[in-house]
Amino acid sequence: MDRRRVNGPAGGTAPPVYASTLTGKTASAANRTRQPNEIRKIFVKTGLTPSASGSAYLELESSPATHHSKSLTNRTPALKLTCTVHGPRPLPRSAPFSPQLLLSTRVKFAPFAARQRRGYIPDASEKDLAAHLETALRGVLIGERWPKSGVDVVVTVLEGEEDCPLEALAEGNQGGRIGGWGLMSILSGCITVASAAVTDAGIDCVDLITGGVAAIVRQPSAPLQLVLDPCPSDHEEIVAACVIGYLQSRDEVTELWAKGNISPSSSGKETKPLCFETLVDLAVEAANGARRVLVEAIKESTEAKLESSAVG
Amino acid sequence: MSRHKLVKGLDLDEELNDFDGGVEDDYDDGVSAEDKEQLRQGLIRVREVIGENGDFTDKEIEDSLWHYYYDVDKTVNYLLSQKAGSQPKKSKKKKGDAVGTAAKDFFKDSPWLNIPKERCGEILIEPLYPRGRLLGGASKADGAPKSKLAALAAARKRKENLKPEDDQDAPSSVTLLDRLGAKPRARKPDPQFSSSSSDSQRTPAEQEKTTQARKYPARKSPSAEALPAEQLTEAPSNASEDLPSSGGDGELERTPAAAPSVFARTIFGPSAESHAPAHGSADSRMSKSLEYHTEFDFTVPSPDDVVIKAQSTKRPAQKPGKQPAPQANNDRSVNAIAHGVEEVAIEDVRVRRKNLDVLAEFGKLKAKNAANFVVIGHVDAGKSTLMGRLLYDLKVIDQRTLDRYRKEAERLGKGSFALAWVLDQGTEERNRGVTIDIAMNKFETETTSFTILDAPGHRDFIPNMIAGASQADFAVLVIDASTGNFESGLKGQTKEHALLVRSMGVQRIVVAVNKLDTVAWSQSRFDEITQQISAFLTTAGFQSKNLAFIPCAGLTGDNIVHKTTDPNASWYTGPPLISLLESSEPVARALEKPLRLTIDDIFRGGVQNPLSISGRLDAGTIQVGDTILVMPAKETATIKSIEVDSAPSDWAVAGQNLILHLSDIDPKYLKSGDVICPPSAPIPCLTSLTVKVLAFSHITPMHVEVLKGRLHAPGRVTKLLAELDKASGNVVKGKKPRLLKPGAVARVLLEMEEAVPLEQGGRVVLRAGGETVGAGLVE
Ligand SMILES: Nc1nc2c(ncn2[C@@H]2O[C@H](COP(=O)(O)OP(=O)(O)OP(=O)(O)O)[C@@H](O)[C@H]2O)c(=O)[nH]1
Ligand SMILES: [Mg+2]
Repeated sequence: MDRRRVNGPAGGTAPPVYASTLTGKTASAANRTRQPNEIRKIFVKTGLTPSASGSAYLELESSPATHHSKSLTNRTPALKLTCTVHGPRPLPRSAPFSPQLLLSTRVKFAPFAARQRRGYIPDASEKDLAAHLETALRGVLIGERWPKSGVDVVVTVLEGEEDCPLEALAEGNQGGRIGGWGLMSILSGCITVASAAVTDAGIDCVDLITGGVAAIVRQPSAPLQLVLDPCPSDHEEIVAACVIGYLQSRDEVTELWAKGNISPSSSGKETKPLCFETLVDLAVEAANGARRVLVEAIKESTEAKLESSAVG
Repeated sequence: MSRHKLVKGLDLDEELNDFDGGVEDDYDDGVSAEDKEQLRQGLIRVREVIGENGDFTDKEIEDSLWHYYYDVDKTVNYLLSQKAGSQPKKSKKKKGDAVGTAAKDFFKDSPWLNIPKERCGEILIEPLYPRGRLLGGASKADGAPKSKLAALAAARKRKENLKPEDDQDAPSSVTLLDRLGAKPRARKPDPQFSSSSSDSQRTPAEQEKTTQARKYPARKSPSAEALPAEQLTEAPSNASEDLPSSGGDGELERTPAAAPSVFARTIFGPSAESHAPAHGSADSRMSKSLEYHTEFDFTVPSPDDVVIKAQSTKRPAQKPGKQPAPQANNDRSVNAIAHGVEEVAIEDVRVRRKNLDVLAEFGKLKAKNAANFVVIGHVDAGKSTLMGRLLYDLKVIDQRTLDRYRKEAERLGKGSFALAWVLDQGTEERNRGVTIDIAMNKFETETTSFTILDAPGHRDFIPNMIAGASQADFAVLVIDASTGNFESGLKGQTKEHALLVRSMGVQRIVVAVNKLDTVAWSQSRFDEITQQISAFLTTAGFQSKNLAFIPCAGLTGDNIVHKTTDPNASWYTGPPLISLLESSEPVARALEKPLRLTIDDIFRGGVQNPLSISGRLDAGTIQVGDTILVMPAKETATIKSIEVDSAPSDWAVAGQNLILHLSDIDPKYLKSGDVICPPSAPIPCLTSLTVKVLAFSHITPMHVEVLKGRLHAPGRVTKLLAELDKASGNVVKGKKPRLLKPGAVARVLLEMEEAVPLEQGGRVVLRAGGETVGAGLVE
């Protein structure tokens, strides 16, 4: 607390929650409007922060509010991420010699990122995401080209989706499921946006890495279904999900995180067995989709850079 | 274009060398004489070995020597292999090769700091052309000092951008990616370029092209097959038509690009909307961005910087013997790596508990009495000046320091504040002539060692005054006797402060009627003030035997340490202020009670002690090696060492001001206002508490801020349980009160937003809307 200033009023007020918004259970229990094999549309742009060596902004559009729910709270939340890359820059003198680029990643939720306010102190899920992001990126950076240097990759989650359907939130069981399925989409977004920012910073990579998520979901009164890019609030229950950090042109995976209840390999002869392997394949598919957008965005910013240097 | 030419003529080497120095953290700013000598010798030896074999410039050799730490063999190898390497490669590279040979190839293309001249020629200073970014921060092209490495990185980045430009015959509509990708095939292998651009200079995108053919067949995902390579080049047209479509049957073959949301558009400005930026509008965009620039001049420190600077300049002087750690709070992220390394380097040595009988030790030590006193009073009553004079007359502050203060204060046009500067150390405090935060200082007389807590008088800083007052044994109330000011002070903070210290348990008050020099030491004025104040203080609950009045003048030093010599003041025969302070009887220390210490400040006490806290031991004893519990975090820590009055000690007892160096705890569990207690007798953490309050102004069920020392916590008065009789303390019969009038005493229920460490008998102050509404005792 700042003791040198007059601080704000002691007691904050919470916005009112009206009973009418809590009752439309059937309306929004499962409102995925996308096809199962369709990912949310992505907007990526690099070069957001001039003071950083490289930066990028990514957002996943929120699905449009369904017509029977007029209130704002029933909208599926969007995902908005920014990433800044600082470096490569020399390590401080006191640091021991490192033959490689030292990568450090941080993921930070803005206090207003989710429905429940976040604190400023990094919590477990942020550290977890940062660790996953680090493994994902370490595989693509060519660290040997930057001895004695470090690079910081900082992702800020401006808006991150909630973990559970809003009804559950309203019923008051907010606890417990934090750090659940929503984190997987966020991680995938983090990987993609970090990749864009790293490219913007001109750090050599073996390939463009992108993230993708796939999940097995249970829809009300329907068999289990495989979907790309699940949004936790769209589904009644997510049975299993998998995030992947994928390098398309090398067909390599640098990061894989799966959880849930799932059999390791296919047993039957169904075309799309609900097994781990299919899930990974689908996540790869999602990552490929994201890659297209990323390539577009990078092309665009490179063109802009070219143009501007031609003018100058 | 003349500017273009000018830029062309730039020598990159020189530019890069210019970047040397400046930034402290450069790992090679400036080559030392030693290095130079080694370089020279190495150069000679390398020349010997190479002989006529190669035509390398001195610079090249020196650079490679530098890179290999003066290892001659390696340098020669490298130079020769570099020469050989510039012949065309025969074998096709295997996957993963890029990683293996990377370092070598990297330097082949652009030897350390020696980029071939023909390429330097094309380097342009990054133009002002806007890129649709957020404004702020330092731009990369502004010639600010950079490290060599950063400069190299920037140069490489620029080069990458520019490279395709020498390929002018390509149609301009072809994207950069395509051009880069097509180059190895389209052009004749040029020894300089093809080797470099296919090995080390590859952009990720380029690499993706060249490696696409040799995908592992082992695991082909269905979609990877459905993504032929040419689709990438097709994409731009695809994307632009895809943008507005709702994507009803959007298969993955389409680029799932979204239009920017409203939020994104506000960040990027209009440029984000159109995928292909309109060239014609470039000027208007530029002028727009210039407009934004004028809004805040980033060359002046930001408001935050000012505060941070003020904080960091103030701290060290307050607590002598401790190193300031501005980094600890500010930019953890930046030095995260370095920080981590430092922490690893310092192995925590287990501290052994000596199992001292602290009370016996304390008994053996015939220490002087120790007393803390807080100096209170209305703003500009002369509190800081009075204390500065006290310290000066007692020779705690030497003449030289004071002369310096006087000179600097005069330069600011605040010559009369020179004495106050002894205590007001912050820049902001000095510039404004107002104390903002509690300043601590110590002095000793023959019998007693005192700690001064100079409180701010301004009403905005009352929380800080409360923090100081909670550590005090008695108070010095300073009153401005000059005409008009006494009256306005009485309406202002004179009364409020007195009530606050009373409700925080202070029994004894020395009233210093200050600035009597302005009223020519008029006895009647003194008597008038004495009478009014003592009447007020007695009603506030001070016993008249605990009150002492003294006429004085801080600025001139009369009646502070030496008795006044002013003939007009001959009517006063009592002792000077210092004797009154000394006559204060020693306060009983709560030695037998369980340990309690409210954290005042948390800081990094140097390399050896990454985590230190300071505060006053309220009750109990403590010794090195003790395990303590931090509330409300409920985390334990170990006491590594103790400093009492900035001298190391093995133990400490209640009443002393300590610095504790802790280990085995994460700093995130500590914040100022937390309470340190023994694990065996933890202080309870309460969310709801009944408090007996004395209302200063109207109290209704409302939001309040609860303060106890450094502890600030938001809470709510939820119920007014009963009104109490002021004299007897019995419950007044009748209806439950719905409102407390100023002066009323009542029992109220407080609900806290978070659990706060408070126990029975704790004295709290309630504030709302920047005003003190009441003070109370936890029941
Ligand atoms: N004439 C005269 N002026 C005095 C005396 N003591 C203080 N002053 C002046 O009063 C002004 C305020 O002095 P400070 O010591 O800063 O007052 P303060 O009580 O510490 O003020 P805050 O800490 O802001 O509450 C200065 O200009 C002093 O020179 C005095 O004994 N006589
Ligand atoms: Mg002052």
